[in-house]
Amino acid sequence: MDVKSIMECERKSLEKMKRYQLPNKFKKIGIGIILISVVTIILNKMSIDNIDLKLTAKYGILLGLLVVSISKEKIEDELITNLRMQSYTFAFIAGVLITLTNPLFSYLANTVLEKQQEIFQGIGDWQVLWILLSIQVFYFEFLKRMNK
Amino acid sequence: MKNRLKIERAILDLTQEELANKIGVSRQTISSIEKNRYVPSTVLSLRLSDLFGKPVNDFFELDENEIANA
Repeated sequence: MDVKSIMECERKSLEKMKRYQLPNKFKKIGIGIILISVVTIILNKMSIDNIDLKLTAKYGILLGLLVVSISKEKIEDELITNLRMQSYTFAFIAGVLITLTNPLFSYLANTVLEKQQEIFQGIGDWQVLWILLSIQVFYFEFLKRMNK
Repeated sequence: MKNRLKIERAILDLTQEELANKIGVSRQTISSIEKNRYVPSTVLSLRLSDLFGKPVNDFFELDENEIANA
């Protein structure tokens, strides 16, 4: 295999990673969606307390986090791609561990601290997605700061 | 992996930013390579080799441990 074909092979694998990403300006749009959703939840709680509106805003937070997560950096080079992959791996492992251990901690907290007989309860899809996305976004930012 | 990127950059009298622009990466990437926190890909190493006019082995070198494990 000559140098050109090695370069071509590496370039193609990097290009594949970039295909599902949004342009950098979408990061601000994602943050905007998160802020609007959070404000909606707070205002809804203080006034009409509509369940449908609350649910929509909660899924708005997930949408915003997803948009932030898949938006490119200003310079999306191989270091950033590498850090991004590290953050997805960390988020996946941490997310699964938290999801698995959360019911146990809830059970212990309820039975030991509050002296109530509780049954094991899993966490919902919103919480799982929120945990995965927020860990990925914050760990990616942490890794970027560590590499400055 | 050890590298002489900082020295090669100094020979060409380039800042991290200028070197980054020439090879199409961020300044952060150059800084991370110089501090041995990131090992660049073959593509990036060959781009640096082109710019410095030297083979990759002249500015990237395996550690003793890495040689022993080979």
